[in-house]
Amino acid sequence: MGHELLRVPLTLNLTWRYAAGRSFSRFFRTLREEGRILGRRCPGCRRVYLPPRPLCGDCFRRLEEWVPVGPQGTLRAFTVVHFPFLDPTTGRPRPVPFGMGLVQLDGADTTVNHYLDETDLGRLRIGLRVEAVFREPREGTMGDIRGFRVFVS
Amino acid sequence: MKWRRRFAIIGTGQTRHGRQRDDVSQPELVREAARRALEDAELHVGDIEAVVLANMELFEGRAFPELWCAEGAAALGKPVLKIATGGTSGTSGAIAGALQVASGVFETVLVVGFEKQSEGQTAAGMALTDPLWDRHVASAAIGNFALSISQYLHARGVTPEQAARVVVKARRNAANNPYAHLQQPELTVEQVLASRVLAWPIHLLEMCPTSDGACAVVYASEAVARRRCPRPAWVRAVATRHDQPYIGDLDDRLVKMRTLRSAAREAYREAGIREPLRELDVAEIYEPVSYAELAWYEALDLCPDGEAARLIEDGVTAMDGELPVNPSGGVLSTNPVGASGVIRTAEAAIQVQGKGGKRQVGDVHLALVTGYGVYAWSDVLILSSRPG
Amino acid sequence: MSEEPLVVPGTIAIPFSYAAGAAASRFLAELRDARRIMATRCPGCRRVLVPARSFCGACWVDVDDWVEVGPEGVLVTWSTLHVPLPHLAGPVPYTLGLVRLDGADTDFLHRVAGDGSGLARGTRVRPVWGETRSGGLLDLAHFVPVTPGGPDGLRDDRDRRG
Repeated sequence: MGHELLRVPLTLNLTWRYAAGRSFSRFFRTLREEGRILGRRCPGCRRVYLPPRPLCGDCFRRLEEWVPVGPQGTLRAFTVVHFPFLDPTTGRPRPVPFGMGLVQLDGADTTVNHYLDETDLGRLRIGLRVEAVFREPREGTMGDIRGFRVFVS
Repeated sequence: MKWRRRFAIIGTGQTRHGRQRDDVSQPELVREAARRALEDAELHVGDIEAVVLANMELFEGRAFPELWCAEGAAALGKPVLKIATGGTSGTSGAIAGALQVASGVFETVLVVGFEKQSEGQTAAGMALTDPLWDRHVASAAIGNFALSISQYLHARGVTPEQAARVVVKARRNAANNPYAHLQQPELTVEQVLASRVLAWPIHLLEMCPTSDGACAVVYASEAVARRRCPRPAWVRAVATRHDQPYIGDLDDRLVKMRTLRSAAREAYREAGIREPLRELDVAEIYEPVSYAELAWYEALDLCPDGEAARLIEDGVTAMDGELPVNPSGGVLSTNPVGASGVIRTAEAAIQVQGKGGKRQVGDVHLALVTGYGVYAWSDVLILSSRPG
Repeated sequence: MSEEPLVVPGTIAIPFSYAAGAAASRFLAELRDARRIMATRCPGCRRVLVPARSFCGACWVDVDDWVEVGPEGVLVTWSTLHVPLPHLAGPVPYTLGLVRLDGADTDFLHRVAGDGSGLARGTRVRPVWGETRSGGLLDLAHFVPVTPGGPDGLRDDRDRRG
């Protein structure tokens, strides 16, 4: 018997159903039915959170007030990804390159991590104005916003 | 935090970390590190009263690693705790073990961190964040660091060459460490910057590897430590901070890094440290990417904000500098995720105990350990040659 | 707008490749190539552990004394699944059994053919080798009761080696 070292393959293929909860349900429903993006404001620190959520982690207070944000915003961080790592929802590599950024939608105090239309680094900079690109028809998930493109007013 | 009693690390052990350890199963990998730690501590399996395991089981597609690895971790019949907190798994595990002994409930605790990343798809596992908001775009550690680095560059104006110097220091230091995964004693800044871009501005050679490896430390109460160990590494402080759930909540993450600043402040206060650069003798910090080490210099108050590049350029954190950072080679040279935080802890203890061999930085009385995980979780430990 | 809560479907699909390690690799290679079930004897407690392994968990010592066990054994207990769980190696009814192979001191978990009828604690069983020689546990397909009649129910040596 040789000194062969064996490997045992197994592909995990599991399905889930995630409860969105009240905050996300309202957010996704508004996105789907009205094409609007909603944030939620903390009565304590006054930050408008995106995604909307029931609690502010810093203040530990309930968020009640809904605030429309975007669809334009400002780019606060960016990159262009060339590394074709495996997308865990499909088991296949995501096509590269793709642009990605942190966008602060007008009216929001947190940024949203999302795709950027642009992969030319020469055109990307912090402070750039961008706007959301919606998917049609909308389904009520994060994919309803396809990404952000440069906004020229 | 008020310690009820003194306690120390009296032994450490680790595997030779590498890209692919096919010769051992996960429990056998754990045993390799656990056995070396017990030998170093001069204890038997029966002397260990409790075990803490640190592992990101999702990365290797196993449920309950504490089940499969119970034998390898000398844990049969003992209380076992498994911790999975991303990159901080190892330091969270080290802190959990420390608190178990500090509490007075246990006299000896074994902590083993491990990961067999060659068995899975770490980046895929890392991208399994919030399914409602994050997952559609999550691009693992490389992607989220690239975003934060673009902000850090904008705020601090550091250059790619300065960041690359961090990698050169790490991989050259690793050549002195018989356990390190990537040992590159001839690495140059030019080679780092010539390597392909993973996600702008991160080059391949300035990102940590994925590794297979395990590392263990043994904690003991003062009574056991004084009986068994000629030079214990006394635990003087521990601190942990977690933060909000989305990268978008974290304002200018690397620039502000509020969790690390807050945890370090608490730990320094607990250990009576006022000027960390001057008073610390060595630091083992958790730097998954070159720029992170620069950001940590500032968050750890080793220099004023904006002066991190000066520290690396002037050799302040080199092996012969005022405060050597990562004589082991750091996470940039070796990164079995569940083990990495325990490796930082063990390497700091090794320095205090004078067991560092070629990577020993002389007489070490105060050592800093940090852990980093997910978006902004931070752990800090301080070890000392003196019980305090 | 309704206030009914939303549920979002999701999937996780990731391929893994687990290293068996040197000891388990040898165990699997013996199943695959020689159709033998291998165990290791601990020098401490003297127990014969199957599957073969590199250390005894109870004694915490290295183990390197390899012995063949079985191929037959005694059924210690069993259970038949009637619910088609994901990742089962076959359709229901699907029976699992713990087999104390001849010469072993630990029980070996594996599939038993059939729907459980005719099985009893103490039933002698023998392995049926699979079509595959892939280096996986299912190169041994399942166990079946030894046919009553002859002393061990096997017609000739071909049945031992599959």
